[in-house]
Amino acid sequence: MTLPGDVPHRAEVVSGPASYATRVRNHIRTLRFLADEMTQQALADQIGVSRQTLNAIEGGKYSPSLEVAFKIARVFGKPLGEVFELAAD
Amino acid sequence: MLPSFEEKSVWIQLISLVVGLALYSIVSGAMMANGITEPAPYVPVFISAVIVLVVVLGLGHALAALTGKPERSDERDRLIGWRAESNSSWLLAVGVFGGITALLFKVEAVWVAHLLLASMFVSDGLKLTLKLVYYRRGV
Repeated sequence: MTLPGDVPHRAEVVSGPASYATRVRNHIRTLRFLADEMTQQALADQIGVSRQTLNAIEGGKYSPSLEVAFKIARVFGKPLGEVFELAAD
Repeated sequence: MLPSFEEKSVWIQLISLVVGLALYSIVSGAMMANGITEPAPYVPVFISAVIVLVVVLGLGHALAALTGKPERSDERDRLIGWRAESNSSWLLAVGVFGGITALLFKVEAVWVAHLLLASMFVSDGLKLTLKLVYYRRGV
């Protein structure tokens, strides 16, 4: 399933030579969309990080700790594997 | 994306460091050019530079707190801090090693002190710059 806002593959996330992208893909944007267009701030408040950190996670610029990853999955009521996945080599 | 409070704080720290260092460098540079080689006269200059640094730091943070809600640092801020520290502390080590070497060669104390001060300031400046890079580029 591909919905608007799905985080693209790593190669598409990288916007230039100075950019950094993790190999962990996520579907947070899609899940926020499905959760009545939940805002980044609302999700960030629930998991205890700043909106900028959530933005970095969503954009593939930062791999969260397991604890934060589990908290995100719990907010959406999904197993971890349905929120995050490791990009293929 | 607007910077977080932590990122704004790093900008403020970098600006205050540059202002403090610039003031100290200008005054102490003039003193050294006039042949003052005793460390004691540099102490009040250094204290003044530190006071200016702290004032700029305080004013900057007050302004940042007024323009946006201060937030607690989170795991990304801590990771960025550790990584920046890890990639910049070598400069301080180089300065300390240089200072010890200079003492062995009986270089004047004022030069050794300034080498140590410079390595401390530059190491801190590099750390703050790296933090800003990691905030923007990702980590």
